[in-house]
Parts: sequence; structure tokens; C-alpha cells
Amino acid sequence: MVEARVAQLTGVYAVSALGRGADAQLTRVLAGVPAFGPVGRFDTAARRVTVAATLPEIATLTDELAVAIDAACRAAGLDRAQRTGCALLLAVHGGPPASGPAPAVLAGQLAARCGLSGHTRVYTSACVSASTAVADAAARITRGDVERVVVAAGYLVEADQFALFDAGRALAVDGAVRPFSAGRRGLLLGDGVAAVVLESSTGRRRGVEPVATVLGWGRAGDAFHPCQPEPGGTGLARAVGGALRRAGLPPESVGYVNANATGTAQSDAAEAAALRRALGEHADRVPVSSTKSVHGHALEASGLLELVVTALALRHGELPVNAGWLGPDDSCLLNVVRDRPHRTEATHALTLNAAFGGANTALLVGVG
Amino acid sequence: MPGFVHSDFAPVVVAVAERCLRRGYGSAGVPAGVRTGIVLVSASGDLASARHVRATVEAGGRIGPLFFFQSVPNSVAGHLAARWNLRGPVVCLSPTGDPYTDGVAEADLLRDDGDADEVLLILIEQAPDKPTEAVAVLLGGGARP
Repeated sequence: MVEARVAQLTGVYAVSALGRGADAQLTRVLAGVPAFGPVGRFDTAARRVTVAATLPEIATLTDELAVAIDAACRAAGLDRAQRTGCALLLAVHGGPPASGPAPAVLAGQLAARCGLSGHTRVYTSACVSASTAVADAAARITRGDVERVVVAAGYLVEADQFALFDAGRALAVDGAVRPFSAGRRGLLLGDGVAAVVLESSTGRRRGVEPVATVLGWGRAGDAFHPCQPEPGGTGLARAVGGALRRAGLPPESVGYVNANATGTAQSDAAEAAALRRALGEHADRVPVSSTKSVHGHALEASGLLELVVTALALRHGELPVNAGWLGPDDSCLLNVVRDRPHRTEATHALTLNAAFGGANTALLVGVG
Repeated sequence: MPGFVHSDFAPVVVAVAERCLRRGYGSAGVPAGVRTGIVLVSASGDLASARHVRATVEAGGRIGPLFFFQSVPNSVAGHLAARWNLRGPVVCLSPTGDPYTDGVAEADLLRDDGDADEVLLILIEQAPDKPTEAVAVLLGGGARP
């Protein structure tokens, strides 16, 4: 009997204000202490909000991405020769860069530096860039197009996007991200660079124990507004439904949701509606948190940073808290993980992302 | 276009996309139940807006809030999706090879993988010294001329 092809995460690496490396993400996200502080990287004097989650010492985006890709490949046990022919899917901000190479040039440079000689593709779909890349990678692996794909993503807090989010009054003026909570005031930006190796069962044949398996994925649009989510969460719910269907699992199998929740009033309410629509009564029970409350919103990289955190937490058996909680909000009645990490024996988790344009993604990971 | 300022990026995207959709579906629009994805391919992105933001930030100034709402290509895709009830995925790419080839490959993947029944592919490039150019193609749908 032919074994069904799966997409396993065999190597992961991430950098955020929580620290460098996968272990640092897990340890600090479980500690639940938000990493927000004054921005020292550029002048914020003209801005309403002056905080973000930034690492004090940071290299260029190109160098951080190269380090991340190399580290993820090493974690997967891939030497330079074994990276030959491997595709690179990269998620970064599109258009002219503030500094460094243009996105397509960046992808080529990274592939050459890291020994990835396969196809490259650059996703610039705002906050679903990285999660779309993961969905595409999983699809290509499971349908047999490729054996192995590296997905990398990066956003380092910089002056232009910070100014835009500040101008749009999207940033939390109280300096805290409070997903699904009463009194939430908005999002805060955060550094995020991550890389993962996704491959079929070849990793296991090399003796590498996978971190997790990407069992399901879904991508769907709201058809509602240029930059506001559909209040009923229909698009995100269809993405979750797609992920469950591909995994062949019922809603009750989901033991944790790392929500997109940015701490924004209407977006968090729409996401709560989407979870109720997609999971039914299980939405009352499933533990939910948004780790953006500690590492901030890494924009194009958020989907990959959150996938890494979700997979590591599920594997470790503890679910991260939703920091910044002030109290329940009637528009977001979910089982939010608060106060302390929640011990779990769950084997499946969803990580959700949504973006301007009504773009939604859901990734379903499994361990064990 | 209400809500979009300073740059012809969004208006040109909408112009080519709506001509394409009208040729495909006429005034009836996309049939109910058809999930139309959007794949927008652009190396330049909204160059005019990005340059305005850069210059304003470098001068220590404040940016108008509408620039936030048009700061990513997803926004104009969302505008089209809302007007034409396009409920498939929204994917924006910066091409690493031939833009049309990159876009068709992504569109094929979305259709083969089952999240889209058809894909509206839009290619757009903005340059400082020549007119903005864009093309829209409806791929894989049941549309008839």
C-alpha cells in the first residue's frame, strides 16, 4: 500500500524580540511576558505610539534571513549537498525596499548563499504572506511536485511601516496588545524572522524526528472590503473548514488555536465569529490565545513565526497565554488562555492569519 | 477611486480587472458558488505611494491615514473582491522570473489544490518615467466571451 504523502516540519528556526532560536521562542512565549518597549531603531518623535517588540541587536534582513535558513536546514539535518534542488518560498514586504535588495533579488541571494538551487517564489500578500507560502509548500509536497521546500519570512520593524500603522491609528496607544479582551486598543509591531524546512517523509528516512506535520491548510477571501474583515468571519471560517477537510479531521480534534487576533476591536470580533462558525460548539471549549500579545505583529512574517511557536508549544504540551487580558468582551466569547500556560495532551492545533484585502489562511498542525 | 489617493496603482488595477471580468461575465457578475481567487503580480508594487511615504518619513512628517489603507497590494484586491464577490484566496507575488509564468503557476496551484475555481491574474508595474502598465486575465473559469 502506498503511504499518503505528508508535509512534515523537519527543521524550524525563528528570531523575534523574545530572542534568537526556536528554544528562546518557546521559553519566552510560555513565560508570557510581552516584549514591547521603546523603539530605539529610528526616530518616533512624530508618532502617536512609540513602542514595538524589537531586538536590541539586529543585522540586516538579508543576513537575518540567511542565518535563519541555514539554522532551519541544519536542524533538519540537511547539509549543503542535500539542499540542492530545494525550493525557497520567501515572504517579505513587497515594492521598493527601504534598504537592501528588492524582494526577487533577495530571494536569489538567499538561495545562492544557503545552497538552495530549486525554484524561488516571493509572497507579498501582507499578513498572510508566510502562511500562504506554507500552504503552497504543503500542497506541492503532498501532491508530489517536490520533496522539500524551505519557507522563510522576515519583517524587521522599520520607520516607514511604523509610520503608516501609526497614521492609520492601528497601533495600541496604551502600549499593550490585548487580543479578544475588553479594552483592547490595537496592535503593536514586532520583529520576526523565521525559516522552516517542509518535506515529505524523506526527513524521517534521514533519521530526523519531525517537529510537527502540516496536516491541513485553507486559503479564502472575504469579498467584503479593502482593509476591514467581514464581521461574520465567513472567509476565515471557510479557510478553517478547508484545513479540517484536507486533514480529514472533525472540529473536535483541534486542541488549540493560535489566533490571528491582533488586539484590534473589529478584527478580533470577526475572528471569534469565524471560530464559532467553523468549529460550532467546540469554539466554547477549545483553548485560544494570540501570541502576538507577547512578540507583536511581524506582518509578512507573522504566519511563519506563529506556526513555529504553535508547533513547538503543541509538541511541548503547554499552550501559551494570551497576554494583556483585562476582562471578557461579549463579542469574543472564547476559552482564552490567560494567567498561566495551559498544560495539554492535545495533538492538533490551528494557527490562523488574516490580512488586508479580506485574505485569510488557516494551517492545521499535528504532533505525535 | 474613493479611498485610494496619490497613485494610479489601484485605479489601473481596477480598470484592467473590471474590463476582464466584464468580458468574462458581462453585467451578471461572477455566478454564485464560484470561488474566484486573485493573484496580483508586481515587482514595483505601488511605487508612487511608497516613495511618498519614504520622503515624508525622512522629512520627519506625518503621513495621511489613507496611505495606511493602501499600503499593501492586498487592499485593491480586496476592493475588487468586494465589488465582484470574489471569494477565493488573495495572493500577491513579487515575480522572481517571468511575471506571467509566476502568476499562472500560482493560479494553477490554487485551482488544482481546490481553494479556487478560477483565478483573476493581474500583472502591474509602475515606473517613475513611464505610464503604469497592467494586464488582467481570468484563468480557468467557466466564463464565455
